[in-house]
Amino acid sequence: MKTKWVAKKILTAVYRQKAIAALILVFAVMPLVNTSFFTVYNMVDMLKSASVYITIGCGVTVVVISGACDLSVGGIMCLAGIITVKMMGKYPLFICIIFALLMGVLVGAVNGFFVVRQKSEAFVITLGMGALLKGVAQQLTDAHPIAGTNKAFFEFGTGSFLGLPNITVMMFLILITTCCLLRFTQFGRNCYAVGGDYDVAEYSGIPALRTKWLAFVISGFLAALGGVLLTARLNTGASTYGDTTALLVNCGTVLGGTSFAGGIGNAWKTALGLLLFTVLESALGMGSLNAYAKELVIGIIIAVIIGIDSYDQKRKAEMV
Amino acid sequence: MADEITDNILNICNVNKSFPGVRALNNVSIRIRRGDIHGIVGENGAGKSTLMKILSGVYEKDSGTIEFDGETVENTTPVKSLRSGLSIIYQEFNLVNTMSVGENIFLGRFRKMKGMRGTHGEARKLLDSINCSVDTHAPVESLSVSEKQMVEIAKALSFQAKLIIMDEPSSSLTTEEIRHLSVIIKDLHEKGITIIYISHKLDEIFEYCDRVTIMRDGCVVDTKPIKELGRDEMIAKMVGRTIENEYPERPHCVGESLLEISNLNSRKLKNISFTLKRGEILGMVGLVGSGRTEIVRAIFGADKVKGLILQIDGKTVSIKKPADAKKAGIALVPEDRKQQGLILPFSVKSNISMAALKGLAKRIFLNRGSEVCMAKRQMESLAIKTPGINARVENLSGGNQQKCVLGRWLETDSRILILDEPTRGIDVGAKYEIYLLMKKIVENGGSIIMISSELQEVLSMSNRILTISDGRITGEFDPEDTSAEEIMKSALA
Repeated sequence: MKTKWVAKKILTAVYRQKAIAALILVFAVMPLVNTSFFTVYNMVDMLKSASVYITIGCGVTVVVISGACDLSVGGIMCLAGIITVKMMGKYPLFICIIFALLMGVLVGAVNGFFVVRQKSEAFVITLGMGALLKGVAQQLTDAHPIAGTNKAFFEFGTGSFLGLPNITVMMFLILITTCCLLRFTQFGRNCYAVGGDYDVAEYSGIPALRTKWLAFVISGFLAALGGVLLTARLNTGASTYGDTTALLVNCGTVLGGTSFAGGIGNAWKTALGLLLFTVLESALGMGSLNAYAKELVIGIIIAVIIGIDSYDQKRKAEMV
Repeated sequence: MADEITDNILNICNVNKSFPGVRALNNVSIRIRRGDIHGIVGENGAGKSTLMKILSGVYEKDSGTIEFDGETVENTTPVKSLRSGLSIIYQEFNLVNTMSVGENIFLGRFRKMKGMRGTHGEARKLLDSINCSVDTHAPVESLSVSEKQMVEIAKALSFQAKLIIMDEPSSSLTTEEIRHLSVIIKDLHEKGITIIYISHKLDEIFEYCDRVTIMRDGCVVDTKPIKELGRDEMIAKMVGRTIENEYPERPHCVGESLLEISNLNSRKLKNISFTLKRGEILGMVGLVGSGRTEIVRAIFGADKVKGLILQIDGKTVSIKKPADAKKAGIALVPEDRKQQGLILPFSVKSNISMAALKGLAKRIFLNRGSEVCMAKRQMESLAIKTPGINARVENLSGGNQQKCVLGRWLETDSRILILDEPTRGIDVGAKYEIYLLMKKIVENGGSIIMISSELQEVLSMSNRILTISDGRITGEFDPEDTSAEEIMKSALA
């Protein structure tokens, strides 16, 4: 009886969270296709690349729950890395990092100013901001990759702690903090209310403007942090990093089950969505597929998952 | 008998419809005669809207048959029913605000109308046929409510409608506009178009309709020619019971002055000044658009205003946004419950605790146990009927939703409660409970500003009444020795 109940519970959880179902599927099929998928090396590699995305995804989740989106995270990530590497030679490392993070906070605040204060369309403002930062990054580097000079920094980026890569440990800390922030604090709950219905939140005396603004600042900060982590891992900064990051992270957020309309979702869901992305990327890269077919398959999988999810939501809504 | 059947344009026979937990329509049978103006009356929740939505194809019926114009209707959709000649004009219009009048009338038929010129030409003809002079190039958002309604009627005519259903068409019109509407309804009647007229305003039903159907709790109570039906009989059948105590006894606990408003000016308001006393229920009466909602929104900090001096207990308070108002102890239960009052997909619990999260915080983390206690406390003390505190608030009835909004503010320490149309769209039983609650609030030392369109309600509940007209306060009355006529006269001034 008990096992049956547990099994049922697990099944409903998997059904609700389609990203888990897809992950399980990939993990079940891959060993049959390619034996190197299940190696420690590959697992660690996937975790490392997912870590940067998830760090950024946490911030984006806060923004999406508050009822907006942030497409400037790619630009912020890229510029933060370049700032760190560029300043490294002249200043102590921690000052470089703080400077990069401050840049993220500043950009988030500017995004928030336009989107929340001036009521501009978040999509357009943040997309433009991303392009702008990209331009700055290209100016700074002359469009060449630049290598880091600080050994400690690189060692942190490639090192590990208790068997887990350092940046993955960082990611877990941030993920847990964000989940707690969203679930258990007044600010987090206000985010849900503001995203659920801005007017209602405002008329309930919630500082709606400040809340949504702060969401953008958090997103900017975490995107910059993601950029620092990425640079630490690769020991380079380049203006080509982050070209697809913004779309990928926003898409992964929705794929995980956070509603793009706002008010519903959480950071751990985003983490699953983004993990699925990385695992798919790695798994399909190992198969005998060429690069074009890989994109095609990823596209189909995303469409199917979101399609099933939307159908479910629709059916639920029609049941009244 | 056979003649009578062919004479019917619409034959609704034993239609049933259930939603989970609710039987919305129970064996409903109505026959509508061709060329009639047929009234449908009933309280909120009687099933009128559900029936209309089944006719137009928004909902599907569970069982029963519907015949329209001699043909059985099955699996209809809104588009199919429009094409077959059945048009519905809803209370909230189905118009694209940013597009022009002409484009709206022929929405989706642009090619058939041979482009812009044909569209506007035909639209002009249709609008002229109902004596409407609106420019067909004007965007719909620039029109008044009544003009939008005319556009909807023209749209119905463009489909060669044989039957037009009007759902509460006069609820947001001015007296002048209602007169214009009545001319048009009679005009359509002469053209041989059948009209189903749904309204709460019994005067209109008696003026226009040939026959009336009375609905209650999802059933048809009676269908009769209007001439055989008296007003009292109609009301008795609608309500199904005689209401003895519609209002509780008026509370009397007015103390010294608490809130003083002076020099409130804005684009719509002119020099508003008044005081609210401790333990007082202050009624505000005015037509829609008179500025009554703007006054309370200004006090609550939801709109920007000029020169407002707001004193609470003699101390000047600056309120720039609703969060400031909350801090000062002012709460607003807004007019539009669904748009401004509640986050519909959220749970009862979250909706209640929303404004009081600060009190739940221990250092930075919220105490979720006390949040549950808070929601349960309000659920019990307000008798909110819900499957549980985690149920989605959108599944609750109007009265229970309103109680959730009230519960939210009762959990903050608000001393001044502003209620904008607190009983709109709520059935009689729940209304009484809300009145009792208002009484309890003032007895515990709170003060209430109540805006309402139901004059009787204001007269029975408040200690003092202000009338508002055209952005000014036009009178102050003591409800105990004032008649409804006097107050109405002042509100129309």
